[in-house]
Amino acid sequence: MSISAHYDEIAHCNHCGFCQTACPIFRSTGYEGGVARGRLALLRAVIEGRLQWSPEIEEPLYSCLLCGACTSNCFPAIPTADLVTTARSEYLEKVGRKSIHRLLFDKLLPYPRRLHLAARAIAMGKNSGMSELARALGLLRIFGRDLSRAEAIVERLPAQAFRERFKPGVFEGQGRSQHVAYFVGCGVDVVSQAAGEATLALLRRFSRSVHVLNNNCCGLPAWSYGDLPAARKLAGKNLAVLEVQSVDAIVTDCSSCTGFIKKYPRLFSEDDPQRKVALSIAAKARDVSEWLAAEVIPISKSLEGKRVTFHDPCHAVRGQGLVKQPRELLHRMPGAEFVELPEADWCCGGAGSYALSHYDLAMQVLDRKMANLKKTGADVLVTTCPACIIQLSYGVRRHGLKVDVRHLTEVI
Amino acid sequence: MIPKELINELRRIVGDRHVSETRTAAELYSYDGSLATGAPGAVVFPADTLETSRVVKAAARAGVAFAPRGFGTNLSGGTVLPYGGLTVCLARLNRILGIFPASRSAVVQPGVTNLELQNALSPLGFFYAPDPASQKVATLGGNVGENSGGPRCLKYGVTTNHVIGLEVVLTSGELLRLGGADVDPLGYDLRALLIGSEGTLAVVTEVTVRIMPKPEKVMTQLVVYNAVDDAARSVADIIAAGIVPATLEMMDSPIIRAVEDSIACGYPRDAAAVLIIEVEGPAEGLEKQAGRIREICTANRCREVRDAAGAEERGRLWEGRRGAFGAVARLAPNYLVNDCTVPRTLLPNALVQVAEIVKRYGFEHGNVFHAGDGNLHPLILFDSRDPDQLKRVHEAGWEIMQACVALGGTISGEHGIGLEKMAAMRMVFSDADIDAQRSLQEAFDPARVLNPGKMFPDTTRPFAFKDQAAWARPGDALSAIEERMAEEVKHAFAADQALLPLGGGSLAGAGNLPSRPTTPLRTNALDGMIELDPANQYFTSGAGMTLAAIQEALAPHNQWLPLRPAFGVLRRTIGGVTATGALGPERIAYGAPRELLLGLRFVDGRGRLINAGGKVVKNVAGYDMTRLIAGSAGSLGLITRVTMKTATRPERCAVVSACGIPEACASLAAQLLGSSLGAVFAAAAPDDGSNRWRLQVGFEGFGDTVAAQLARAEALFEKSDFRSVRAEEYNVLTGPFCGLYDRIAGCPFVLRMGAPPDRTGRAAAILKQQARVEALLVDFGSGRILAGTSDMNDASWNEIGQRLRELAGHAVLEKSPDEFKTRNDVFGPPRPEWNLMHRVKAILDPKLIFAPGRMPGLIQQGCRNAP
Repeated sequence: MSISAHYDEIAHCNHCGFCQTACPIFRSTGYEGGVARGRLALLRAVIEGRLQWSPEIEEPLYSCLLCGACTSNCFPAIPTADLVTTARSEYLEKVGRKSIHRLLFDKLLPYPRRLHLAARAIAMGKNSGMSELARALGLLRIFGRDLSRAEAIVERLPAQAFRERFKPGVFEGQGRSQHVAYFVGCGVDVVSQAAGEATLALLRRFSRSVHVLNNNCCGLPAWSYGDLPAARKLAGKNLAVLEVQSVDAIVTDCSSCTGFIKKYPRLFSEDDPQRKVALSIAAKARDVSEWLAAEVIPISKSLEGKRVTFHDPCHAVRGQGLVKQPRELLHRMPGAEFVELPEADWCCGGAGSYALSHYDLAMQVLDRKMANLKKTGADVLVTTCPACIIQLSYGVRRHGLKVDVRHLTEVI
Repeated sequence: MIPKELINELRRIVGDRHVSETRTAAELYSYDGSLATGAPGAVVFPADTLETSRVVKAAARAGVAFAPRGFGTNLSGGTVLPYGGLTVCLARLNRILGIFPASRSAVVQPGVTNLELQNALSPLGFFYAPDPASQKVATLGGNVGENSGGPRCLKYGVTTNHVIGLEVVLTSGELLRLGGADVDPLGYDLRALLIGSEGTLAVVTEVTVRIMPKPEKVMTQLVVYNAVDDAARSVADIIAAGIVPATLEMMDSPIIRAVEDSIACGYPRDAAAVLIIEVEGPAEGLEKQAGRIREICTANRCREVRDAAGAEERGRLWEGRRGAFGAVARLAPNYLVNDCTVPRTLLPNALVQVAEIVKRYGFEHGNVFHAGDGNLHPLILFDSRDPDQLKRVHEAGWEIMQACVALGGTISGEHGIGLEKMAAMRMVFSDADIDAQRSLQEAFDPARVLNPGKMFPDTTRPFAFKDQAAWARPGDALSAIEERMAEEVKHAFAADQALLPLGGGSLAGAGNLPSRPTTPLRTNALDGMIELDPANQYFTSGAGMTLAAIQEALAPHNQWLPLRPAFGVLRRTIGGVTATGALGPERIAYGAPRELLLGLRFVDGRGRLINAGGKVVKNVAGYDMTRLIAGSAGSLGLITRVTMKTATRPERCAVVSACGIPEACASLAAQLLGSSLGAVFAAAAPDDGSNRWRLQVGFEGFGDTVAAQLARAEALFEKSDFRSVRAEEYNVLTGPFCGLYDRIAGCPFVLRMGAPPDRTGRAAAILKQQARVEALLVDFGSGRILAGTSDMNDASWNEIGQRLRELAGHAVLEKSPDEFKTRNDVFGPPRPEWNLMHRVKAILDPKLIFAPGRMPGLIQQGCRNAP
């Protein structure tokens, strides 16, 4: 859909500037092009013909974290993140898609096997110092010029993907209530496998059965990039996998994936038969913190004597409105002291692959997060999104902190 | 187009990344929070003061117009460039440089937002009083540029009352420091002139603000009404009852609904109006004030008074108020907001007229405003995409301003003139007033490259609305005398005869020796009360009226002018007090004369009668000439009348005092002043016959509050091992220091010293080393020392001046023998900013006929002290 169709929404920005205070990018740069007010002004200028679709507006469009904090501070609640992705989509149409993106979204992400192979190749390069090989493979390079510095963000890639160790299929559970499906996000699959193992163990303990799905990428990276056809294709393939499941809940331990699965219906028009499927899938989708809060009373003593704090992933707090659930679980942890992280709901700068394309900005955002983390004096930083875990772990190393960054399922 | 050479130079100064000349950047910096637009040719982002000064100098030298900008949220078009040019964005100057609880000040860069400062102060137990509703995103540089207000300024005053120092860059690239933690610097009040100058005189690179201890207790009430009129009447009645709430905010039904649709703040959707009222201060007596407010609102037919239960509910109520502007964005794509101010008793009338005007132009509107100070904010809803609507909405805005001016108000209470209200300046100022203001730019920016085309309309063009203009109203009892005195000045101007303005005569020997013979110009004839409005708490009187006469006129209304100026107190004329900025230690509670002034009229060096300010408590129309003239000691012109705000008389005034060594006095005073006890002053004087001082701490206000404050202060004294603690009542009009003032004034040399408050004790020690002090008053609150001595030699005077400068303070001789003055500048060693002061004088008084030679620097005589 063309951005012009959203003229009314865009015109509702009256330049009050309240988005500036909440935008992690604006707080770092002070640059008007890096905040909702500015981006909306540019879109209005494009609609009104003062500006053309050209590489000159690429940076303002693509420097957005899509964290949605602006909308939470916007009285008319202008959905700037959505408008930006719509604009990105039109930008790609008018200015063109880079071949490297086509490789990623068309050839790699729709196929879990290919992703696993690619990841293994990179892992070998990374872990043995042969990063040339990784570069040659190009998986990370697609994200842009800041790659060489960004590469250090992922400390270590496991040699085997999660689902190479836990093959998709049904696992017996010890619980009494639900049959669940476990949607394995790419981050868990190829990087944060400890989280995946912990999630799977928890799900098995508290549900009757767990179906580890043979899903592919949820589509969020493509959608964020503005490649709506690719996002639709990825989502469509997942719907086909999910549709056949007769489960009570589809659980994901990646808040970004859950947030996007809950958004699936809006990818398809009213008359598209897939929309109906998307609606029923979205209704069953559960963030792992949401599911656990309803099912589990924590007894693990893994946090005993520790001070613990929580970082809200954007796609959990604003994407799904999950604030209380993870905190309630952490509050109930035996022997743990929970402290609230200042600006807990501010983006960490990970924003999917943002750090790979905007390294300096992402680091400024991350530094602010780390400064807040220091104020808490926490021993353990908990969150529910693998992309956040990667970014936050990098921040902890960068700042020389002694803080353990963990997925919620790893500590419950 | 910006010349390529300039772009290259800017890139060299700030680095390639921080200069942008793309069409995207032009679009991004073409707007602010107002409806005005204007795209820059380039945007530059300096990193610090040094880069800013180099950028400014480069642009000025290239003759390229430029405008400073923070986060671009102002509401009058002040930061856009309608004729192109360079935007100097100060967003990168975003650090809090220091918070100094001991001197009750903080130093920030201009790109720090108001809320960031508040958040940094809060854990230390302090706050910064001005709190514009946009505080989340409004930068302090912008607050300075616009002289921002906010809900809390009803009790505490606006930005100019709380910014005590500025570091500024002139277009020459010159860097100047004006004021600082030393609250009353020497010479003209250039800070005041710059605050509210909307980035047209200089670029601010650093701001020093006064910070205050957080009040002990805050009580928040939400009052719900079925009729707007009832709410407006409640407002007037609360103030009349002598209660000074910290805030008194009002919202009408369209706003209430828009806010509630955005976030549930707990405003009843079916209410016609709500008031948010907050009282704060010492806990004792606060409940009683809240109870009294409840009674008044009930008597005015309110539907409900709801007390906010805790911090969370209070936060919610305020979140709605602060977001009201944004919330109306739900109703229509755009709004035009007018920030006219009227005397608060005329609010109901103003609201009716606003409604009629808006309806006539076919728009909807909502009202959200600072009711306590009569500051309206009608938000007129429209769609800027429709050119016809855009035209009509501006016409409606114009009529609203006319209506408010006709009610005795002004065109802008806090948003500024910028581009949007330029033409309306002629409603409140005559051509001579406007020309006098504009002419000051010559002293700061002779090439006129700094934010040109703002604030001041072209006065050579005809003005169709002269009949309705405030300045064209018929004269009063004083007018004829003012005209006559203006004539006298005109003659003196023609004859090049120097004049010495004289009120009560206490100023006769002030300052340096006249550089040529002067003729006294007496203000005795300018006597009498012109307007006394107890309900709106202000008066206008002739400059020759004594303080005694003014207090007498106010007494029947249970009001007073909260000033007890040192030396003479009630005998002094109000013109003299204004001209000298005379004050006493109670300044920390009530302010200096500059804080009480709403407006004045003066005769300039050409014999023109110039109006400055007005009679409403919030007024940001044009440059702040009022405060520039106040404190100029008759050297910029002759003050003929003043308008000042009054206060309800305190029920009780009492001082508790005790003896301790000087260091203990300084330390206990600092503790008291940094606490929420609410002292009106904390000052010490030597206890006769010992090496101890008697520290005196005053409290004024409601009887039960004062009683509790006294008890707590006494306990503190005893805990700190002070001796002979005693409490005494004193007269509200004369205060407890009259006798001491007379003893100091009786000495041949009278010194006044100022320093950051935490260094008052050190300043006193320096004085003691250099002179045999016979009488002394050490005011820890304002960091001010008054001292009398019979002996002072040139070397000692020099030493005092230098040492005080090292303390970031100053020393001035209020009185000294003429013979001493032939060799010494009574203002001490020269300072760089004095040059600028002399340039300002040369503009308002081109032939230097007013008190020539009196001001700091002796420069006009080519004396050796010239900086």
